[in-house]
Amino acid sequence: MSTIAVNAITDASGGNTASINGATPTTDNTMGRNRIINSDMRIDQRNAGASVVVGSGAFPVDRWFAVEDTDGAMTAEQVEDAPTGFINSVKLTTTTADSSLTTTQTAQFMQNIEGFNVSDLGFGSASAQTVTLSFWVKSSLTGTMGGSVRNDSANRSYPFSYTISNPNTWEQKSITIPGDTSGTWLTNNSIGIRLVFSLGCGPSRLGTAGAWNANNNTGPTGEVPVIGTLNATWYITGVQLEAGSVATSFERRHYGQELVLCQRYYWAGSGSYYSSMYSAGAFVYIDLPVTMRAIPTATYQSETGSGSISLYTTSGRLQYLDSDDTTFSVTGPKADAEL
Amino acid sequence: MYKLLNDPINGGQAQCIKRLADNAFIPFDPANTDYQEYLKWLAEGNTPEPADEV
Repeated sequence: MSTIAVNAITDASGGNTASINGATPTTDNTMGRNRIINSDMRIDQRNAGASVVVGSGAFPVDRWFAVEDTDGAMTAEQVEDAPTGFINSVKLTTTTADSSLTTTQTAQFMQNIEGFNVSDLGFGSASAQTVTLSFWVKSSLTGTMGGSVRNDSANRSYPFSYTISNPNTWEQKSITIPGDTSGTWLTNNSIGIRLVFSLGCGPSRLGTAGAWNANNNTGPTGEVPVIGTLNATWYITGVQLEAGSVATSFERRHYGQELVLCQRYYWAGSGSYYSSMYSAGAFVYIDLPVTMRAIPTATYQSETGSGSISLYTTSGRLQYLDSDDTTFSVTGPKADAEL
Repeated sequence: MYKLLNDPINGGQAQCIKRLADNAFIPFDPANTDYQEYLKWLAEGNTPEPADEV
């Protein structure tokens, strides 16, 4: 057997990595490099595309959380408006403007990434890796916008900025962020990285873009607040956060794969689930499709028992107990273990 | 607001609490964010409603 030992393999022009059997052996081929789940906004178990009021917090699609505590108001929804290669995005619309945000007021669209999924990045250590964030964005407004990367305790922040050049036009942005060598970054099933896209924030939440600081910043100084303009819109899709200093092509995952990734954090059952008898009542057991991040908070739309029911949950099963009846059913069960 | 629950199988208090706003059952799991919010609510000096009498 022979070994090839060279420093670089280039194509005939000398500039690009050569292909092998039609595939270019770069990080483009690595599955799992995108640390974001539901990056293309396809999965919406909660609302099936219906608009939600952002207010004190809502998930317009799976894994993506919108929240605002301003004197304005916003709605958020999954829409079929996306750049080529995508079918969905999330649209946020300002329904009541607040053009004078104070102190810690914020409007955010964010995803909390589980520590297990970013543990290799080494944040908080001398070996912290550089990461690159890329995404497609469209807004009715132009100018500087941004967001931040924060740790769980929100005492390490990296505000970033990007420019919307043309109104109502899809634009792809890429931001390279040096790994943070300071602070505490969790590597378990808690929040590893908080990725925030700012839609406006007060002075206490603004920070200088392009540098780590020890504050709780959600946006860059000088940003154009989307919530500051009535009827302003902001769309996003194709979000990718990956190790390295280059934004590689978007990592495509099958719908079923993406759904299971989402169901680690939220699961919604459809239809009714019927009981088995038990010596002192009846049980409905529901085995969850994937082990959830933590023992979930569980709810249901309705049940047919004559009295109240109790619930026992593990990270892999919901167990509804009705001690008043020998049979009953549960409709619309849900399990929530979001970050 | 929250309400304590009985454990109808083992007796005593159930290992979850009911959030009255949406009837959600919140497990006593430190990693559950709803439970973390409940603990914060308790720390602010609030008290849950007692469980129903058995």
